[in-house]
Amino acid sequence: MRDEVRDEADYAGELDLDDELAQALALLDPALQDPNYWFRFRSWVLTSATAELARRRLMHQLTVGDVMSSWARGVVSTAALAAALAGLLLVRGPGAPAPQPVGVEGLIVSEVEGETMPSLIPPETNGAVAFASEIF
Amino acid sequence: MSVERSEVPTDGDLVHRAKRGDEFAFGQLVERHQTASYAVALSVTGRHEDAEDAAQDSFLVALQRLNECRSPERFAGWLMTIVRNRSRNLVRRESLRHTDQVPPGVQSLVPTPDRVAETSELRGRLKEALAALPEVQRQIVLLHDLEGWKHREIADRLELPSGTVRSHLHFARKALRASLGGLPVGPDLQRKIL
Repeated sequence: MRDEVRDEADYAGELDLDDELAQALALLDPALQDPNYWFRFRSWVLTSATAELARRRLMHQLTVGDVMSSWARGVVSTAALAAALAGLLLVRGPGAPAPQPVGVEGLIVSEVEGETMPSLIPPETNGAVAFASEIF
Repeated sequence: MSVERSEVPTDGDLVHRAKRGDEFAFGQLVERHQTASYAVALSVTGRHEDAEDAAQDSFLVALQRLNECRSPERFAGWLMTIVRNRSRNLVRRESLRHTDQVPPGVQSLVPTPDRVAETSELRGRLKEALAALPEVQRQIVLLHDLEGWKHREIADRLELPSGTVRSHLHFARKALRASLGGLPVGPDLQRKIL
């Protein structure tokens, strides 16, 4: 019981390195039987850390200018592509045939030879959406 | 008057360099703290393989989170917290797996079967004695008597009052001496393991 209330100063002197206990505990050091153990330990850690260290080096080397220029490269190329497409549409001019809207039904039968089934959609619907289903 | 700068970089210097991806600096940090990390991990897991995994893994986690180390000069204490947490997680994860510890290097040195048996027996008894101690006492006795850390270093790095560290060390040693009563120590132990 007295041990539990001992003052810090009471332990001074008896808590110097205990050689015998230290020798016994040294049995737990993996290097005792494998002198290269800590070298291999460190090598394993460094090998595993290669990618993270490389990422950190890269991040450190990047400047604000690098970040801005890499952002600008993407924006400029996209803008250039959009401008080229717009220019192409303008160059085609008024002589080019204007695209004609084609109904879905007409598109389906446009290249079918012979008669096709009449439209199931009554003419009075006139463009309204219709849904049909077949039951087999 | 010029202030002479120490040749040996501090942990803080090495942390700053490692943050920039300096492999040599990170290697120095590993070299400095690998045995202490292993000792702390061993004190939690009680098994060599788990301690090795936890200690190595902790260095990688520390590198990934290096920017979160707010006091680079206190890197060791910060690292030990990571080691303890990783070790506890490992113990929880692998609590169902029961395999016996095979000391590393036993195969590589090809010692005589007698010596292997004796050393294994001694190590086994030591592990049993350590296992009977509370985790904090195992950490303190391993860091002090195996790693050679001072009381104040342990107190600082484990964030414990110095008096508590001394008290734990006292009781841990007392318990270990009692448990290892029949263990050969001193020259007898050296003859057996060397």
